[in-house]
Amino acid sequence: MKIKHTDWGMENLKDHLQAAVDLELWTIPYYMSAMYSIKNRDSNAYQLIRTVINQEMLHLQCAANIANAYGLSPTITPPVYKGTKIPHLNFNLDPSEKTEPYMPYTAEIGPLDLMHINGMCLVELPEFNPPPLEILLESLINEYSSIGAFYDALRFGASLLKDHIKGGVRQVDAFSAFYRNMPNMTVTESGEAGFDQVSLLIDLITDQGEGQCKKDPIVPSVFQNTADDTEPEDDHFVKFNQIKDAGGLDGCELPETFSTKPPSEYTPEDLQLQNILVKQFGRLTELLEALFKGENPDNFFPIMASVGGALRNCWENGVTPKFSETNQH
Amino acid sequence: MTNKTVFRVHPSVNFARFGTSEDYILSPETSAGLPQEGTQVTGGLPIKKGTENTPVTSNDLRDEEGNLKKQAARFRIYAYDVNGPDTYPSGSGTEIVIGTKLADGRTVTDLRWSSHLANKKAAVYNVVNNKGIEAYADNQVPQLRNPEVHGDINSDYRLNRLMIDAGPRAISASSGDSAKFNRCSEAKCVKQAGEITPLPNYPIRFPEDTNDELYEPSGPLDTLGEILTDDDGRLLVLASSGNAVGQYDEYGVPIQMTGDLNNVGWFDSAADGPVNVTLVFDDGTTEEAFGAWVVCGDPAYAPQIRNVVSVWDDVYNMFVRDLELQPELYGITHDEDAYRYKPTYQPNFTQDIQPIFIACNLQRWTANLPPLALQAHTAVQAINEDNDPNETIMAALNFIRDPNKNETNIGAPLMPLSLGAAGTSFLTVTKTQYFMLEQWSKKQFEKGGESKLGPGEILDMASMANCLGGRYVPGIEVSYTIMEKDIYQQDWKESGAGPFRIKQYPLTYSGLSKETKETTPYLKSGWIPLHNMTHGLEPGDLSKFMATPWQTDYNSCSIHATAINTDGVNESNGAESTLYWSWPSQRPDAVYVAEEVYNNVLPQQKWSIRGKGTYAINPASAATFQDPIQSVQDWDKIGIIVQGTNVDSDTQEFAPELYLEVQSQLTNPGDATDPVPAWPFNANPPKKKRSCPH
Repeated sequence: MKIKHTDWGMENLKDHLQAAVDLELWTIPYYMSAMYSIKNRDSNAYQLIRTVINQEMLHLQCAANIANAYGLSPTITPPVYKGTKIPHLNFNLDPSEKTEPYMPYTAEIGPLDLMHINGMCLVELPEFNPPPLEILLESLINEYSSIGAFYDALRFGASLLKDHIKGGVRQVDAFSAFYRNMPNMTVTESGEAGFDQVSLLIDLITDQGEGQCKKDPIVPSVFQNTADDTEPEDDHFVKFNQIKDAGGLDGCELPETFSTKPPSEYTPEDLQLQNILVKQFGRLTELLEALFKGENPDNFFPIMASVGGALRNCWENGVTPKFSETNQH
Repeated sequence: MTNKTVFRVHPSVNFARFGTSEDYILSPETSAGLPQEGTQVTGGLPIKKGTENTPVTSNDLRDEEGNLKKQAARFRIYAYDVNGPDTYPSGSGTEIVIGTKLADGRTVTDLRWSSHLANKKAAVYNVVNNKGIEAYADNQVPQLRNPEVHGDINSDYRLNRLMIDAGPRAISASSGDSAKFNRCSEAKCVKQAGEITPLPNYPIRFPEDTNDELYEPSGPLDTLGEILTDDDGRLLVLASSGNAVGQYDEYGVPIQMTGDLNNVGWFDSAADGPVNVTLVFDDGTTEEAFGAWVVCGDPAYAPQIRNVVSVWDDVYNMFVRDLELQPELYGITHDEDAYRYKPTYQPNFTQDIQPIFIACNLQRWTANLPPLALQAHTAVQAINEDNDPNETIMAALNFIRDPNKNETNIGAPLMPLSLGAAGTSFLTVTKTQYFMLEQWSKKQFEKGGESKLGPGEILDMASMANCLGGRYVPGIEVSYTIMEKDIYQQDWKESGAGPFRIKQYPLTYSGLSKETKETTPYLKSGWIPLHNMTHGLEPGDLSKFMATPWQTDYNSCSIHATAINTDGVNESNGAESTLYWSWPSQRPDAVYVAEEVYNNVLPQQKWSIRGKGTYAINPASAATFQDPIQSVQDWDKIGIIVQGTNVDSDTQEFAPELYLEVQSQLTNPGDATDPVPAWPFNANPPKKKRSCPH
């Protein structure tokens, strides 16, 4: 679906909004799996990934809030983790010299190893060279070079359709106490004023994630975590590169992870652990969808936390985590 | 060993609590927050005066004039048949009261109780909040308190001026005696054959002896408490009013309080000491029971809010690991020559696991937890013994800080999220608690079943379970020294004393004379940790490790950044200004005021310490009296948190799930107060250090 910028209609915008939610959601199990595979919770890598995951949850909330402001309550489905496909990103559009350091990579669920830290860096790859205007305005939804480029397009479409913004609709705020410098985590206004809020949330996502197009290496203070981040001034790309660099060229210096066994050796108890994770994550996606539809499920966070426990349980028993029966190998 | 009956006083360590009223209620004999059979009222509530175990309601907490009632520590005697080395739990024990007839035919005709209370705080060493017990390591000691008073720590000069020693008191239960620990009441002790012997030459010491004038914002410090007995001959120990007095400086001004822990020139009326009893029988024989210890200290402002780590958890942990309490739980394994937890041990869900989960969920009533945490804590408490641990929020103990690893600087999402012991950012459960949780996580646990403890053992546990553990900086009732095996009777298996019994330094009260009464104190500075001292504790040897006066520490220990524990340097994995709770279960921070609850709909939380004199410029000092002098004057006005079932109201019926503040005298409904922010919240940024201008 190739579109021209003047053709942006609500359907195109909503496609992007849903895609934003999908993309943010995708990162969470992928990063969580890497983090929980690390034995030592006190390790720098573990703590850095933890801070990134927290912000990915925030980004998911932001994307959903923006979507709801435009009348879309996003659907939440278990992501697909197969091969090297990361939703909506095509690294072939990036300069090869920028992606080469992060090859090879995998988009499959796995422990923190070289392939996965490469994948994590690529997800957060900055827009080193912002795309020419014509590319920005004529985009394929699955053909963005980076999250930054994706959100550039989304912001553009959103600006064209800002008159459709309705503030205060199904907005969720679970994080504002962690960002005391942030004016607002929700879209409370309509129209032009609402777009300023939408734009602020997009800035938050991109500045925390890939940095501000690398013009400033520091995450602006307005977007910095004020509570529980080890390095609040660093964006995700910087944090992941820090882990990668510390891991050495071959990844041998990455923190020790739990050893895994091949699926053929899984015991019934192992399979049960995998099934628990699948079940818990399935419940979580349902609750997230309900949350962003304006409901207030009182078991949302317990299930969210239970997913973490189930995931850790898998790794501790040598089992590779699984988030759905069908969407990963 | 042949069959023998031994007598033990329980609780082995008990706690009397301050009150400004002359009236009293009884300290709780059930464990905070735990379900109690046949009632919706959970454990931990004090007991109505004159009853066996009727929990108080909110109207019982103050007298008609609004003064806070004291909590009396009630001691009982239990008889045990011993025919070999003791084991724990014994599951046995029969209470002995006046009139009890033993199996050997003897009947108890009298109980001669004695105790000796002292307060050595001003005479001994500073509390070093970021070092804790390590301040005594390597043969070192901290700086002396009141260093301007000349002499070494055991000099008569210093002890005469700085130690408060009311001396011993002894009473006969059958005579209905009582005795106050003041100067007007004669010192007495129980000598051989149960004879109560006056000690007219005992060198009683109070601050007024050596200070012509003292600043007495809540009256003179002239007593450390009182002992009396109930109708059955059980001992009741009453604490003092909890007041504090200060010296005047050379300009006639009360000495400025300069901190929370070690205020020069200040005395308080906390105390501790041994409790002993001699049983007198109808045939003229007597028997001595293994004695106990009483600590007179802070009020319990949230008696049912269970500490995730209590004094009980710490003492039990030490006895398990260091004094072979339960070899089936922790001991030498067959295949390894090392002590370790036994993988075959099965904790009981109700007795060993659930209390931790309940404690977790109760924190909401005294701390400003965010909504998501409330959801999580609700889910933790909802776990029952039939749940598959792997399917619960506690799967893999993913959110519990592991005390066996270097995780004390990792904050959220690891729990408990309150501040930790000296030198650490965050609290951990004890190693024994963690092992129990691990066993549960591995499905190695027992279901159902009642407690295996005997009635006296239950009292031991309940008494200590209602006190703050984990974070002894320096603590509320007792400090880190309560975890030192050197203070306990280590021959508990062979001696018949049973576990958890503090070893008493033998006080003979001999050699007292009129000539030395004014010049020579009887007690010395006493026991200190990490110095191979195992001769036992003197009166005052527990409370001396606490802050002086107690109010300034209680007041300040509301919320802090983690750096307060770690030499001023943030070692946590969060922002240096993020604030955490210091003692959330025992020192309420944010509370729900009962008067503001309607139809069980909760209002906004309020700070426990609020109103006039509490407005904070820096959030780090919110919920405190800004002037420490006010903490000395107004501590008794702070409200108490009790379960909805026991809140007296003419108009409302509160749900048993609610724990609400009652009886606060700090504000009236509708008064403006500092708002309670959502967590996480931050202190003001630290002042920038000056750099060299050149």
